[in-house]
Amino acid sequence: MTRIIVITSGKGGVGKTTTSANLGMALAKMGRQVALIDADFGLRNLDLLLGLENRIVYTAVEVLSRECRLEQALVKDKRQPNLVLLPAAQNRTKESVTPDQMKLLVNALAQKYQYVVIDSPAGIENGFKNAIAPAKEALIVTTPEISAVRDADRVVGLLEAAGVKKMHLIINRLKPAMVRANDMMSVQDVQELLAVPLIGVIPDDEKVIVSTNKGEPLVLSDTVSLASMAFDNIARRLEGETVDFLDLDTPNDNIFSRLRKLLWTKII
Amino acid sequence: MSYDSALPETKPNDNEENAESNSALTNHIEVIQESLLGTGELLESEISDSSQQEQASVVSEDDKEKEKSSQEVKDDNELDVSEIKLNPNIQVKITTEEGRLLLILPTESQIPSTEANWYEIWQQMRLRLLAGDRFWQANSIVHLHAGDRLLDGRQMQEISEALTEAQLQLKSVATSRRQTAITAVTAGYSVEQISKEKSLFTPINPPKPLEDALYLELTIRSGIEIRHPGTVIIFGDVNPGGTVIADGDILIWGRLRGIAHAGAGGNQRCLIMALQMEPTQLRIADSVARAPEKSPSQLYPEVASITPQGIRIAKAVDFARPKI
Repeated sequence: MTRIIVITSGKGGVGKTTTSANLGMALAKMGRQVALIDADFGLRNLDLLLGLENRIVYTAVEVLSRECRLEQALVKDKRQPNLVLLPAAQNRTKESVTPDQMKLLVNALAQKYQYVVIDSPAGIENGFKNAIAPAKEALIVTTPEISAVRDADRVVGLLEAAGVKKMHLIINRLKPAMVRANDMMSVQDVQELLAVPLIGVIPDDEKVIVSTNKGEPLVLSDTVSLASMAFDNIARRLEGETVDFLDLDTPNDNIFSRLRKLLWTKII
Repeated sequence: MSYDSALPETKPNDNEENAESNSALTNHIEVIQESLLGTGELLESEISDSSQQEQASVVSEDDKEKEKSSQEVKDDNELDVSEIKLNPNIQVKITTEEGRLLLILPTESQIPSTEANWYEIWQQMRLRLLAGDRFWQANSIVHLHAGDRLLDGRQMQEISEALTEAQLQLKSVATSRRQTAITAVTAGYSVEQISKEKSLFTPINPPKPLEDALYLELTIRSGIEIRHPGTVIIFGDVNPGGTVIADGDILIWGRLRGIAHAGAGGNQRCLIMALQMEPTQLRIADSVARAPEKSPSQLYPEVASITPQGIRIAKAVDFARPKI
């Protein structure tokens, strides 16, 4: 049974596309057949994050207008053969596709792939409706900011009304130090408001920006970062494993305390 | 005493003015005692503008509408807008009447038929179906009351799909529109033709008794608005950005963080109750109050009511009914 997952948030800039790219890659690394769909027609980004921009020949719009076959439009990842991307058209708008057409595309992909991950555009208009129409489950991405959480709440309501009942929450860009100082909403605060089961917390990490600019998803990099570990863990939880949440509270301390310990021991 | 610090204690003024019963007034809310009517009128004029724009699409969509003189239609709509203000009952309703489960859609005079409005209606219907499933058993039979709403085959199918998902069966359709009836027959439902007058909006100038309480088991999330011409009981939270508007009382078995408007029809004796009261705004009849800037440190079940000083919140255990 293919898992059809939409990654959505309501608010823009919270990390939907980054999450889609990394999660897709993490699932592919685990040996799953993954198809990523960029549903952000007119403002596509997913190809950039995956570093596949220069390989795009056809897009979803051409598939729908029967100018090419679906297989021709799928872009295979250069590093990970299990991952394909169905790019969105950049020269069209969200109105160029209907929810029924999205369903058609996704159902065709569901025949071959174990995961179909749909990267939804921001907002709750046509593009959002297109993205959620074929979805069986949803990952809500939010940052611990009041505006992002409010929009996420709205989106949860819309997903419920649209019949997408299986939902999970990803809290992105958490700054543990700020939470400790009581300057940022904590994971508990967000969870209490949204009442959606949590599947992952991703700490704020500058490496994400670097990996985005390079077109190399973080989960593929050799140096292990907390953010890439968090994405890997989300992928494992999607697979049904129980993985303990990363202890984000200590790492910052650890570097210093380890250093201090190290120095301390040497001095003695 | 500053407003902010007035959470668990009582403002001294209050104590003097109704000392006999006011041990109950533990919490205190800043009150903007402004009449809702002022802003209401402004809104109304905006609404009537947009409804005239929509007018064009309604007329072109349906041939039959053309038979009406455009003047008449226009008048209708202007009338309706003011009545919508008075009567919050413009949402999809699911009720039982004489043992029959009825799904009642708003009439076209209440919500004109456009594609955007249909999406809204469809969403409301889905929400109501999600929230009220303890009122029916699986495979119950539903009678759709479409009134004068024009439904095409796709819309009929969407209704039927939504009902099937809630494990309900659509059996019959009551309509005053010939085209809707034809659609329903084509889809295989039994049709009950109702006369047009019956479905027309009856003016509510003489006060009507409140409708049965609406019981909803769901979280009212941002952007969701529940309106009901009676008491509303919500088993779940009302999140910031969510709104509950009732002609009667509002009971929230959960956290109230959004907007609650009790007694929307003008009844000042209506109450708002919540297990945790952290509202964005409370309204009762035509009074408005907003919560203090600082949220209270301790939360317990509370009741909001209108007092001579405006809307006040009291601990539920201390709330003495005869006071109002």
